[in-house]
Parts: sequence; C-alpha cells; structure tokens
Amino acid sequence: MNELIVIFIGMALINNFIIVRFLGLCPFFGVSKHLGSALSMGAAVTIVMTISALAAWLIEAYILIPFDIEYMYIVMFILVIATLVQIIELFIKKTNAQLYFAFGIYLPLITTNCAVLGITLINRIEGFSLSGSVVAALGAGAGFTLILAMMSGIREKLETANTPKSMRGLPVAFLIATLLGLAFSGFGGMI
Amino acid sequence: MSAKNTLKKFYPVIVLTAVVAISVGLLSLTDNLTREKIEWQKEQKIQRLLFDLFPDMSRYDLENEIYIIYSTEDKVSYAFVAVGKGYGGEINILVGLEDENTLKGISIISQVETPGLGNRITESYFTDQFAGLSADEVARRRDGGQVDTITGATMSSSAVIKAVRAAAMEKIKLIKDREQGK
Amino acid sequence: MKMGKFGKEFTKGLIISNPVFVLALGLCPTLAVTTTLDNALGMTLAVVIVLLGANIIVAAIRNFIPTITRIPIFIVIIASLVTMVDLQFQAYVPDLHASLGIFLPLVVVNCIILARAEAFASKNPILHSIADALGMTVGFMIALLMISAIRQTLGTGNLSVFGFHFFTLPVLGEQPIALLILPPGAFLVIGLIMAIFRRTGVMKSE
Repeated sequence: MNELIVIFIGMALINNFIIVRFLGLCPFFGVSKHLGSALSMGAAVTIVMTISALAAWLIEAYILIPFDIEYMYIVMFILVIATLVQIIELFIKKTNAQLYFAFGIYLPLITTNCAVLGITLINRIEGFSLSGSVVAALGAGAGFTLILAMMSGIREKLETANTPKSMRGLPVAFLIATLLGLAFSGFGGMI
Repeated sequence: MSAKNTLKKFYPVIVLTAVVAISVGLLSLTDNLTREKIEWQKEQKIQRLLFDLFPDMSRYDLENEIYIIYSTEDKVSYAFVAVGKGYGGEINILVGLEDENTLKGISIISQVETPGLGNRITESYFTDQFAGLSADEVARRRDGGQVDTITGATMSSSAVIKAVRAAAMEKIKLIKDREQGK
Repeated sequence: MKMGKFGKEFTKGLIISNPVFVLALGLCPTLAVTTTLDNALGMTLAVVIVLLGANIIVAAIRNFIPTITRIPIFIVIIASLVTMVDLQFQAYVPDLHASLGIFLPLVVVNCIILARAEAFASKNPILHSIADALGMTVGFMIALLMISAIRQTLGTGNLSVFGFHFFTLPVLGEQPIALLILPPGAFLVIGLIMAIFRRTGVMKSE
C-alpha cells in the first residue's frame, strides 16, 4: 500500500507529466481559458490513460513476453490506445449526446497525446506490477489535470491583463509554465 | 456481381490487414537482424567497465549475478551490479571488490540523470570516493559514512550511495559463502 | 515549374510554417531533448527517417488507402518505422538510445508526423511529399538546435557535440545557469525565443 502511495505521488507531483516530464503539452497549451473544459479534458485523459495502462500491462505480460515479440510493444500500445479512444468516442456519442458536444472534438486528439502513450512506456520501463501501473496512470492523470486546471485559471485572469503584443498567447503561457515548474520542483525532496 | 460487391465492402479491412501484415513482417526481420547486435552492445559495455576497474583482467564469468574476474596472476576478484532509483530513472552501477571487505571502485553503467547536474555522478571525483571503502563505510557523511554527495545532485548521488551499500552488503555475504563453500 | 513547387513545399517548413515555433507541433520532444546538442541531433535523425519514410510510403499508396481505415493505416506505418529506428539505434548507437529514452518511441505520436501524413502526403505526389518532409524536418532541426545550443551553453558552460568540445565559457563554465538545464528552463527558453521572433517580425503575433 505504501508503495502505491509513493507511486501515485511520484507521478502526480514529483515527476509531474506536464511540468517535469514534458508529456501532454499539446492540450496544455491549447486548452481554453475555462476551468470547466480544463477539468473535462483532464478527466477524459485520465480515464484513457488508466484503461490504456491496464491494457498495455496485460498485453506485455500475456502476449509480448510469452511470444518473445517484445519489439512489437510500440505498435501494439499505440493501436490499443487508438482503438480505445474510438470505442470511448462511440460510446459517448451513443449514450450522452450532450457530453459528446461538450468535448467530443478533443477525444481523437487524445490518441496522439504523448501522456497516454507515455504512461504505458513509463510503466513498462519501471516494471510496475498491474496495480502499480494502474495507480501510476491515475497519479499521472491527476497531476495532469491539476496543472491543466491551474493553467486555465491563470489564463482566465490573464485575459484582463495588459500583455505585451509579442508575448500574447503562447510565449506568456510558456513563462507561466516556467514558474509552475519552479514551484513544483519543490516537491523534489518529498520522498 | 456478388463477388465484386463483397470485395468492395471488405476492401478497407483487406488493405488494413495487408498493411499490418507487411509491417509485422518487416519488423520481425529488423528484430532478427538487430537482436544479436543489441545483446553484444550490452556485453561490450560491461566488459569495458570491468576492464577499467580490473586492468589485468584476462577473462570473466557470470555466476548468480556476480562477476568472477580472473586476472593474469591467478587472482580471483569479484564485481556485481547495483541498481539505484535516481531522479530521472534507473541508475546501474558496477561495483568492483578489492577483497572480501573492501571495494575496489565503482563505475556508472547507465543513468538518465539531468545533464550537468545529476549526471555528474559519472565523474571521477565522485566515483573515486568509493575506492578502498568497506561496505559499512559506504554512506553519506551525514549518515556516518565516508562519501560526500554532489552539490546540486543530492538525489542522484544519494541514490548511488544507497544502491552500492545495499548491493555490497548483500553480495559480499554471498561471496563469502561461496568462498567458504569451495 | 515543378522545381518551383518543390522548393516552395520545402521552404515553408523552415520559417512560415515552422513546426515548432509557428505550428506548435512536436513540443514534447522539443523541450525534453534540448538539454544537449547531441540529443537534439539524435532526435532530428530519428524524426527525419520516420517523417520521410512515412511521407513517401503514404504518398506512394495514397490512391489505395480507403478513407475509413486511413488513420489506423497511418498509425501502423508510423509505429513500424519508429520501431525499426528504435531497434537500429539500440544496436548501433546505444548511448544515444539511452539518452533519448522514452522520447524515441514517442516519435510515434509526434504530431508533426501524423499531421503531415494526413494533411499532405495522402493528397500529394511522392516528390512533393518528400519536399514537405524535408522542409518540416529542417525547420524542426533549426528549432531544436537553437534551443539546445542556448540551454547547453548557458546551462552547463560548455558547448560540445559528440565528444568534440567547442568551448567553455569563462564565467559560466564554473557557475552555469543551471535553471536552463532543468525542465522549467526549457519552457523559459522556448517562450522567450517565440516572443523575440514575434517582436522582430520574423513570426506573427496573435
């Protein structure tokens, strides 16, 4: 249990996916200035990450290693993720049209989100157990959502500020990320 | 014609399957071509590091995860790999023994620490500290040991110290048993 | 003129449609591998092989790719190319492979590659697709080299490529701006470069 908590906190804060590992940056910079959509995006990504991590672990354990085709991991992981996203998209479309309109467009983008493939790769390298992998994905997703929420909140405020023309949009977003990164590096000594 | 219609309907799937089949074939081929070379690379690396630690090594064996080094003067030395959890990921360290109680030195096999900071653990001013120490003395100064951590790379250097100490404690015991069993 | 179109497809990737600074694609590897010039060049090599390969293959079979299953087909092609590069790097340049870490497999989801396959290579002849790939790669490389040169020089005080040492800065050699080597520094450098490009008119502001 202790170990799982350490994994969770490690993935969420100490080695935060966006601010430390540089994974999942596209939605981070593209996310709107609304806290609501940031949280939705974060939730969606977390769900996909967790299921993908589970699927990837099973594939690695029951297909790749027994059949000695470890080198196929990249192809299999990304296909699983793409399929998963398709299924989730269809599911949401059929069951909750409103939800689909809310963030349906973001869904296909999650396939190419470095964070999703990233967590499966990291789990593989770290050699986590099944529970470890799932907890790691949850932690990573939680940290991802946290940063997304913080960023959208700050950008919301920034709308009313007088930003220099050349800094508007991406440049100032990067500077905010720098400051967030500095703040988060304080978690380094936690464990 | 019915056959033509069926073909049209399944065309997308046929193409996809064909692409997958060709890809898998090519990947399998690449794996075949590179697998040995990859193993060889890993061997080469270990060999080079062992040679650095034991310049008069003539050959070596691997038994139960302990390297047995035979040198020209009929002397038998031991080495083993310690694995530490660093800031960026796994740190693999080769630890060489002078005799049953003293370390000969360490070499960093692989690490993914921050360049310019954490990856200073590979520099000799850090690794040289381990030479001549007993397993017990491998600890940070503040913990009563003889090894100084690197400023700005506390996590990385602490990880190395911790890993070497743990591995040394464990392996030295195994080596002593082996020696006695002879 | 055929040569003119080729040239145009190539140069657009350099500045106007620079994948990193303008299109903001492929940010993840950009920030992660720009700690040293070696890593930047290594990543560029991996990307050029995959991007070129993917563009050529997709352009070559573009008339046979059914629309419904096109995305999975693109993915399989790209993932296979990445796997081949991963294995070859492991076999022939293991140190570089270890340095790049998970960012080598992550080339699969590098937005640049999938975007070019979907937006360009599936609709254009092979030759133009090659030009497009090369242009994008050079633009990517320029961005990576700029950022890593700054981060490595000011962040460690030294500038070196593949063991060849260029120089060591006088003051910073002893006390480099370590922040630049750390993750926050990456964001800082790229943000400032973008701001400067916009201020000097090289790229448009929002």
